[in-house]
Amino acid sequence: MRSAASMQAGERRLSLLVTVLAYAMPVIFVLVPLAIFLVYSFFSVDQGTIVYAPTLGNYIRFFTDPIFLPVFWNTIILCLSVAVICILLAYPTAYFLTTLKGRWRYALLMLLLVPLLMSYVIKIYAIRSILGLNGFLNKALVALGILDQPSTLFVFNMNAILLTLTLLLIPFAILPIFLSLERIPQTLLRASDDLGASGLQTFLRITLPLSLPGVASAASFVFVLAIGDFLTPQMVGGISGFTFGRILYSQFGTAYNWPFGAALSVALAIVVILAILIGERFGRNRGSSV
Amino acid sequence: MGLKRAFLKLAAIGLGIGLMTSAALAANLRVLAWDGYADPDWVKDFTAATGIGVDVVFIGSDDEIWAKIKGSEGQDFDVFAVNTAQLQRYIKADLVAPIDITKLPNQKEVLPRFRDLSQVSGDTKDGKVYGIPFCFDSIGLIYDTDKVKPAPTSMSVLWDPAYKGKILAYDNGEHNFSFTALTLGYKDPFNLSAEQMAAVKAKLVELKRNVLSFYTTADEAQQIYQNNDVALIWANYGQQQVKALQKIGAHVAYINPSEGALAWLDNWVISKGVRDNAAAEKWIDFMLTKKVSGELSERTGFGNTVVESSSAGSNDKLVWLNNVEDPLKRSDMWNEIKATP
Repeated sequence: MRSAASMQAGERRLSLLVTVLAYAMPVIFVLVPLAIFLVYSFFSVDQGTIVYAPTLGNYIRFFTDPIFLPVFWNTIILCLSVAVICILLAYPTAYFLTTLKGRWRYALLMLLLVPLLMSYVIKIYAIRSILGLNGFLNKALVALGILDQPSTLFVFNMNAILLTLTLLLIPFAILPIFLSLERIPQTLLRASDDLGASGLQTFLRITLPLSLPGVASAASFVFVLAIGDFLTPQMVGGISGFTFGRILYSQFGTAYNWPFGAALSVALAIVVILAILIGERFGRNRGSSV
Repeated sequence: MGLKRAFLKLAAIGLGIGLMTSAALAANLRVLAWDGYADPDWVKDFTAATGIGVDVVFIGSDDEIWAKIKGSEGQDFDVFAVNTAQLQRYIKADLVAPIDITKLPNQKEVLPRFRDLSQVSGDTKDGKVYGIPFCFDSIGLIYDTDKVKPAPTSMSVLWDPAYKGKILAYDNGEHNFSFTALTLGYKDPFNLSAEQMAAVKAKLVELKRNVLSFYTTADEAQQIYQNNDVALIWANYGQQQVKALQKIGAHVAYINPSEGALAWLDNWVISKGVRDNAAAEKWIDFMLTKKVSGELSERTGFGNTVVESSSAGSNDKLVWLNNVEDPLKRSDMWNEIKATP
């Protein structure tokens, strides 16, 4: 029979094990790979083999070579636009959802999230067919008389990337906004009504400010997912839609220049971390503490 | 080259494992090959004709061949298939043995372009033959017969403003530099001088402005073709790509450009660790029979070295792919081209 002391010791060992595991997972699968990336970004490549001598060359090249910075800024602007469009579309949708009663609300929400269950590549393929010259969008616009003839405006350019990313990422915007809207206590809205505020005033002074944390989270989600995507630009971007993700990807595939790819990744990671921090800063608390 | 056959390969891996275990006799000829290069019925016929048992292992990429051969210093296989661009690396590492072509009577009967092996770049070194050509495909031009009239003869049609926005090119700097160098008339498209590189780059920027998009997989090109107005496709996947398009009812045809088409060429080679050289020679000779080579083309759509196939007419000029002077440089310049507004 075991004594209480040894049982306690056993429990302590178990809780220690759980703690170690809890820390080990993020360390091994997140921090260590990131650290390896960071270290690699200071190496260089010669004749297809990596030279393990520290150098700042990759970073100097990133800042001085005329091709990287313009593509970098353009990509950031593109992804910010995607985030803004997603918010503008997602906000009314989420607001509409919160006005629904009971089961309908969640059924419809689920329906909006269903696309997330589908393969991402298949979605891009499908969207590309829709946007093509003989695609559904053009056929519909011509049939409705909006266009005289099919247009190449929608595919193989920056517009196509913008449209496709927006379509792909909009569920990620709807969800946080919906959650923050749902968390607003009905009593506040009723109080506002009792005090004589109009519907618009209530929305602008109560609902909107209280839902901003959700908007901030949504924007940072969408931005981060968009900027890390290289496949969408590759598949629908054509010749003018050249993004930072595509350059980065090419360093690992065809170029076999891992150190430079790592340096570009670090640049991207800094932007991503900033976006997450900003999202976090504005996304925290204000809603839930009420 | 791996991509090209990847879809066939998956199905073959299971078969390969089955063959390995069922025929694991000590004295068997050990063959390492791409799927489609050692079909079971050929192996059966070969064993029936020569009494030599065969173990086949299928590979899925150039890197895998290198890993298998280099890993055992050639001791694990007697004969294997490798392309001309890769072969020089094996010769340098002393992993392959020279081949006595007098022991291969069928090699005398091959198509004219493969008869003198010293003319096949990459197959010989210091007068010795290391590779016997077996299977190839060109990287030509697919054109829509309804939209492109008259039929094109040169890749220069890709720069024709009449087809602006109706061209699909391939997203690979290395190949694009090579074929553009051929279009510009440069002798060695795999070793370009700095001035030639600059000229090719300027030419590729022009190409970029004329194309609809750059594709990566054959599937992708086909899907874009179906949903858009495409007249010309730079056909990285050669015959397979043409046949897939024709299958969906597209009115397309294929040409090898007059300035020379890039083409890959796979060879049979004998490993340094060969146990029975005569058996390996018999295998290669057997592969060069009209029956096997003809069936190879029927089954895979690739060209063979013995009977004429649709990959290339007898007068078509083919330029066997080779290692390029600086892949990193080409890839960087390709990014610059893509980033040029």
